[in-house]
Amino acid sequence: MSAELLTRLAHGPLGLSWQALVMLAVAGLLIYLAVARDYEPLLLLPIGAGCMLANLPHSPMLAEDGMLRVLYDSGVANELFPLLIFIGIGALTDFGPLLENPRVVLLGAAGQFGIFATLLLALALGFTPNEAASIGIIGAIDGPTSIYVSGILAPQLLGPITVAAYSYMALVPVIMPPIILALTSARERRIRMPYSQRPISRRIRVLFPIATTVIVGTLVPFAIPLVGTLMLGNLMRESGVVERLTKTSASELANVVTLFLGLAVGSTMVGEQFLRLSTLAILVLGILAFGIDTAAGLLFGKLLSLLSRGTINPIIGAAGISAFPMAARVVQRVAHEADFENFLLFHAMGANAAGQIASVVAGGVLLALMGAG
Amino acid sequence: MDNLIAGLQVTALGMGLVFGLLAALWGLLALAGRLEPPPTPPAAPRVPPALRVTGGGADELTPETLAAITAAVLIHIASRRRQAAPEMRSSWPGSLLFASRWVAAGRTRQTRPYRRERG
Repeated sequence: MSAELLTRLAHGPLGLSWQALVMLAVAGLLIYLAVARDYEPLLLLPIGAGCMLANLPHSPMLAEDGMLRVLYDSGVANELFPLLIFIGIGALTDFGPLLENPRVVLLGAAGQFGIFATLLLALALGFTPNEAASIGIIGAIDGPTSIYVSGILAPQLLGPITVAAYSYMALVPVIMPPIILALTSARERRIRMPYSQRPISRRIRVLFPIATTVIVGTLVPFAIPLVGTLMLGNLMRESGVVERLTKTSASELANVVTLFLGLAVGSTMVGEQFLRLSTLAILVLGILAFGIDTAAGLLFGKLLSLLSRGTINPIIGAAGISAFPMAARVVQRVAHEADFENFLLFHAMGANAAGQIASVVAGGVLLALMGAG
Repeated sequence: MDNLIAGLQVTALGMGLVFGLLAALWGLLALAGRLEPPPTPPAAPRVPPALRVTGGGADELTPETLAAITAAVLIHIASRRRQAAPEMRSSWPGSLLFASRWVAAGRTRQTRPYRRERG
């Protein structure tokens, strides 16, 4: 057996660097979290698989015409995949609780403070303004928005930012309750909010996505892709005339794109670029962004409670983030623990739906302020 | 330091814009709620003519017998529906609402679509 043949046979094992080994372990961890812990499996499993395939030695999938490279170029580099997912999210989201109780819309705005506070922290740590804005957008607690904004402003940080955004979304039930308990008293958590369902006509439901797109799109053109696709999905849902398109957007299309997006994002987690101190900083800043969002929403809820003379339970402010509907459910659970007969779910859902809209608005505003495009 | 000052400006402008846009949305929603005419109460459902069961002579069925026959027919329909082909199932196999696993295994019966037998 010639030495050349031996070298060719050992080409694979010899190509394994320590970074690749660490990243294979990270891929294993992501797959473990998805399979064994059920943490955002729809995203973490493809991301883990993409990470594994990208870090195997001399992976042809990252070559010029490799599948992962093609997926990245055709859907992530041009921001197509997150926007397609937004159509599906719009088709799945019921803005009814928000339409019934429009005053909670401001809670969604307060829940975006973590984005800007984290931007400041990232700037203080020495990140460039574009990188800091991309890290701050983790505070939107919205995977597609994070991918969209960071893909434009700092594509080199896409991998860690996406992993952080989706991991923390899965950790909503773990991260939110301690912050709510720390910032509110038992008496505040026991405040009951009567709920009377106000019928919303089909006309309003159909006009809402159109009006939102026109208003937000006119005032912040950078938000058009995000808000336009989100509201397109919702318009299809509420119009009721394109049931097949709605169903396809919410299931088949969203599933296919989620798979492609996960694989493409996972392929950006190549050891040499991922294993840096900045990745650790991004993961820490991401969780801070989430915490600050929750705290800001709560404090704004307290302000509204004060102004309304105690008729608003401040903890619904914590639901003013984009993790829909998980954040609202967590708020309901905390209220339920304080008072068994306290039902805040619909109010929290209203704040949560507002957070969904606010996060895409904040993403567009951030792009505009950073001078993207 | 310059970056931090720029960041503070972005924060102030950004939060202001987000609040402003959502406040505009709030105003729009509140306006739409006011302009929307109050919903008309749904028309009272038409009450179908009640089936009157009257006791008759010795050769007629008593109300109790009629009720028992009705219950038996409904149970029969329900059990035939459970055994019918998949497109008519209202519950997934394995759930308590579905037929037992012994019945579910009867493939030949399940190939027949359910048809309500009349008369």
